[in-house]
Amino acid sequence: MKSYIYFLILIVLGLLPYNMEAQNANDIFRAAGSPHNPKVKVVFNKYYTSEGLAEIGKQIAEAHPKLVKRKSIGKSTQGRDIWMLAITDYSVGNADRKPAFYVDGNIHSNEIQGGEICTYTAWYLTESFNDVPYVKNMLKDRIFYIVPTINPDARNNYMKEGNTGSSPRSGMIALDDDSDGLFDEDGYDDLDGDGSITSMRRKNPNGNMIIDPLDPRKMMRIGPDDIVTTQRYEYLGGEGLDNDGDGRINEDTHGYYDPNRDWGWKWQPDYIQRGAYKYPFSVPETRAVADFVLSRPNIAGAQSYHNSGGMILRGPGTEEDKDTYNREDSRIYDAIGKKGAKILPGYKYMVTYKDLYSVFGGEIDWFYGSRGIYSFTNEIFTGYAYYKDKNGDRDQAYMANKDLLLGDGFTNWKAYNHPTYGEIEIGGFKKNVGRATPGFMLEEEAHRNMVFTFYHAHHMPLLTVDNITEKSLGGGIKEITAIIKNERLMPTHASQDLKNKIERPDYISISGAKVLAGMIVDNDDFNITTEQKNNPEKIIVANIPGNSIVKVRWIVKGSGKVTVSVDSAKGGLASKKQS
Amino acid sequence: MKLKLNYLLFGCFMMTSTATLFSQKDYQTNSEITSNLKGLVAKHKSNATMTSLTKTLGGENIWLVTLSNGKPENNPAMAIVGGVEGNHLLGIELATKFAENVLNNHKDILKNTTFYIFPNMSPDATKQYFSKLKYERQGNTKKTDDDRDGLINEDGFEDLNKDGLITLIRVEDVTGDYMMLKEDNRIMVKADTDKGEKGSYKVFSEGIDNDKDGKFNEDGEGGVHFNKNFTYNPPYFKPGAGEHPVSEIETRALLDFLYEKWNIYGIFTFGPANNLSKPLKYNAGKAKKRVVSSILKNDAKLNEQLSENYNKIIKEKDAPPSIANGGGFFEWSYFHFGRLAMSTPGWWTPKFKGDSIIKAPENKDANFLKWAEKEGISNAFVSWQEINHPDFPDKKVEVGGIRPFIKNNPPYRMVDSIAIKHTSFIVDIAKMQPSLTITNLKREDLGSGLTRLTIDLHNSGLLPTHTEMGAKSRWLRKVNVSVNLNKGQEILSGKKRQVISKIEGDSTIKLTWLIKGKGKLVLKAGAPQAGTKEITINL
Repeated sequence: MKSYIYFLILIVLGLLPYNMEAQNANDIFRAAGSPHNPKVKVVFNKYYTSEGLAEIGKQIAEAHPKLVKRKSIGKSTQGRDIWMLAITDYSVGNADRKPAFYVDGNIHSNEIQGGEICTYTAWYLTESFNDVPYVKNMLKDRIFYIVPTINPDARNNYMKEGNTGSSPRSGMIALDDDSDGLFDEDGYDDLDGDGSITSMRRKNPNGNMIIDPLDPRKMMRIGPDDIVTTQRYEYLGGEGLDNDGDGRINEDTHGYYDPNRDWGWKWQPDYIQRGAYKYPFSVPETRAVADFVLSRPNIAGAQSYHNSGGMILRGPGTEEDKDTYNREDSRIYDAIGKKGAKILPGYKYMVTYKDLYSVFGGEIDWFYGSRGIYSFTNEIFTGYAYYKDKNGDRDQAYMANKDLLLGDGFTNWKAYNHPTYGEIEIGGFKKNVGRATPGFMLEEEAHRNMVFTFYHAHHMPLLTVDNITEKSLGGGIKEITAIIKNERLMPTHASQDLKNKIERPDYISISGAKVLAGMIVDNDDFNITTEQKNNPEKIIVANIPGNSIVKVRWIVKGSGKVTVSVDSAKGGLASKKQS
Repeated sequence: MKLKLNYLLFGCFMMTSTATLFSQKDYQTNSEITSNLKGLVAKHKSNATMTSLTKTLGGENIWLVTLSNGKPENNPAMAIVGGVEGNHLLGIELATKFAENVLNNHKDILKNTTFYIFPNMSPDATKQYFSKLKYERQGNTKKTDDDRDGLINEDGFEDLNKDGLITLIRVEDVTGDYMMLKEDNRIMVKADTDKGEKGSYKVFSEGIDNDKDGKFNEDGEGGVHFNKNFTYNPPYFKPGAGEHPVSEIETRALLDFLYEKWNIYGIFTFGPANNLSKPLKYNAGKAKKRVVSSILKNDAKLNEQLSENYNKIIKEKDAPPSIANGGGFFEWSYFHFGRLAMSTPGWWTPKFKGDSIIKAPENKDANFLKWAEKEGISNAFVSWQEINHPDFPDKKVEVGGIRPFIKNNPPYRMVDSIAIKHTSFIVDIAKMQPSLTITNLKREDLGSGLTRLTIDLHNSGLLPTHTEMGAKSRWLRKVNVSVNLNKGQEILSGKKRQVISKIEGDSTIKLTWLIKGKGKLVLKAGAPQAGTKEITINL
């Protein structure tokens, strides 16, 4: 009753993204693959601020209390909550013990799509639960931990303050970038008030640029043999002033540190890895995530959303970390990554250090290196999307801006009187073009990325006690053999995990009979076994490989039916009573 | 009321200080160190403060004692860190006594230098020295699964011979690979089959294999080891390393403090690393890799100079090789924090010189026992004593070995003289600290209201404003020079504000400006770690 009134008040105040058009179930025809009459009305052709995302998350949690638990995993630098939605079918099994898939977005504040893709994922899982058996099954066996933004302060700064498409990227802790003892004292200045930091240019008879005679939005560089018959220009960089009077413009903007260089695996200081802050997890937002992940040993898969370029990235992040990954890992990563490249046209499956650049202290490197969790980073949006054409050159953004966006997203050049440079012109692409997916393509991109994570989550270990057989050994003694099956691609322990004993071993236990001896069956045909002398009722196995089985055997006394249970941190729980 | 309280405090101080003077025969407990330091600080209020940075999981304070001229951030500073290893009680004493010695005998140094002293970074661990059961604990109170088997603290030590000490057990067994050392048959060493030696003992730490996994005491109250919890070459997944570098309350609190103190130019560590008896060596290959693992060339020269000074004051030879196990604090202070980094254990067993009858032992434990004997230390070795051991019901099992702590911590009577020497060394280094001055001001009147100003920005210290490593770091501020103009003044040439990357020791940078206008202007130059100077010039 109370929450109903609250909801109404919010609608009246216009605080909810509530569609006012009639959406009577009778007036709707379901499009395949999409929730057609969701409880939470939300539109995925626009972006939401941190408060906007938090509000949608709250609505999803309130509309689906049996599927969602919402929790703040910590506070940001400026005191915002970092919201996490834990989504599973809470009516089945022990939610905390189901293999978990962690997904977050927006670690780089300007790389905003992750917020919407995460939110879309939470919305889709909850709104499709009753209609799509795949989703129902997924939530029976798995739990999703979804954190739409792990950089809520700077997300808002990106959206609300004058920024380029590439700023802030950092979080909002002030740093002294130019070593002058002042912190963030010379940031961007939105001189033309269009909400974006575009470019400054100035007429200059000795400049090295001209305006493209066929497209006045565009600047062209003058080549050494060109004969210039038109006005020359020079570029003066991004919009800004010399706020601190040191003879430089925009040299100490917000931050700068890179939250994705703050993680506790192969961390290196700033002089080696630009963007590192003080020490691993010295940034409050990344610390909150790390503390959360460390408190959930059931996390077996993870996804981080960035932009842009159309990449599905996996570690190693640096050449120095090559030996952390072995062939078995590559096989698993390749299977998921290649499926991703098919699901996400225009995206390439890549290895960070080889195909992109070197990253020390990156998030997904920590997930794998430190916790043995298979994880990917997706770089959302690529120019391919404009014309679904791999061969589009750099000019296609200008073309697409005209053809597809009808000019929205470009600030035309306009005269401005600059205190240092005098008469200049300001103009260029707005911050929401280039990296951020245009609205009309956002839902599709969210959906495709989401199903990629579902494929990944599907292949987290899924354990069953497949078969229990018994053989009498005479004298009231019998031999019980159980087969534990892992139906999916991933093992319960990745190679890095096995090498370093990151997560505890798996336990296979028997109850219902007096156990005299217990062993792992290495080869049943030749009766090769490894006996466990201590606590034979709880057999310790280092790993249950993917798409494979583990066989264990007990010598027991007693006539009753036994129950065999498996207990794995990343593989979850399963048990079966002998029939 | 306040007066009374002061009286009371003073009384307490007198009592503790008397206690220190006349009855201190052994290393001080955390609470003794705390009350002594509190007394000391109360006596030198205008030059000393004491604050708790944080409390460990074990409930112990991490103390910071600041020595200064009253404005600590206005002078270049050195940090002094003790208790880096939980079994190194000496380091805590040396850091504490440094504070005492400076305040009592070298107060003048505080005119230009601030000292941030952290006497004990491992207070959870050092408690073990004073507890009923003594063993060389290194870790804090964090619950850790040292053998990573999913069980926590399931196999710790047991005091099998009930002497309150954890030493070793040896088991007579033909399959063992240990044998008695020829020089001193109390000491057990690994047999070297290459030399035709055969083992006949198994040797373990004192205890029972509680979890029946074949390993002894591999997962007791381990905790996280301060000196393994830093970012340089961290020993991932090894016992004591922590979940990730800088994972602990105390390591974080220390770094949060140090990163915010821009005036720190040097860090002095009392720990197992030793770059003072012998300087770190430059290795071009390692220095030029992107992950730098050699001291840089110019810093190696600096280190040589420091080392020369150290060996003049600390005359003991034969220092054991420097120890770096990964994740160490000293390595962090240089490779990742870029400061002038110094470390020494402060003391090591002197070499026992043999004569025509007694040969000098080669084995370092044998050397230690010979030295201990000469010094009249009678309890250095717990003699092997046969016991019944539940894991070896049919075997001869004995408990014995070198007493814990004794190899790293000399008899307490020696501590004062070690502390005095180390204080002198640190004070000498502080006298070399970077120190910027503005000199040789030249004013040329060019007529028509134009003045050319020229100054020498001189580093009068022998140490550079930035180590070569520090010059790469964003966490050591560059030298900033600024001209504050008054109304009607204008700079025609030269910069209003500029930064300079580095000024070497005893070196000078010439700066010049062409100014239009009359009246006063203020010129300011400096960096927090090298001092800041300001002059007012009349045009």
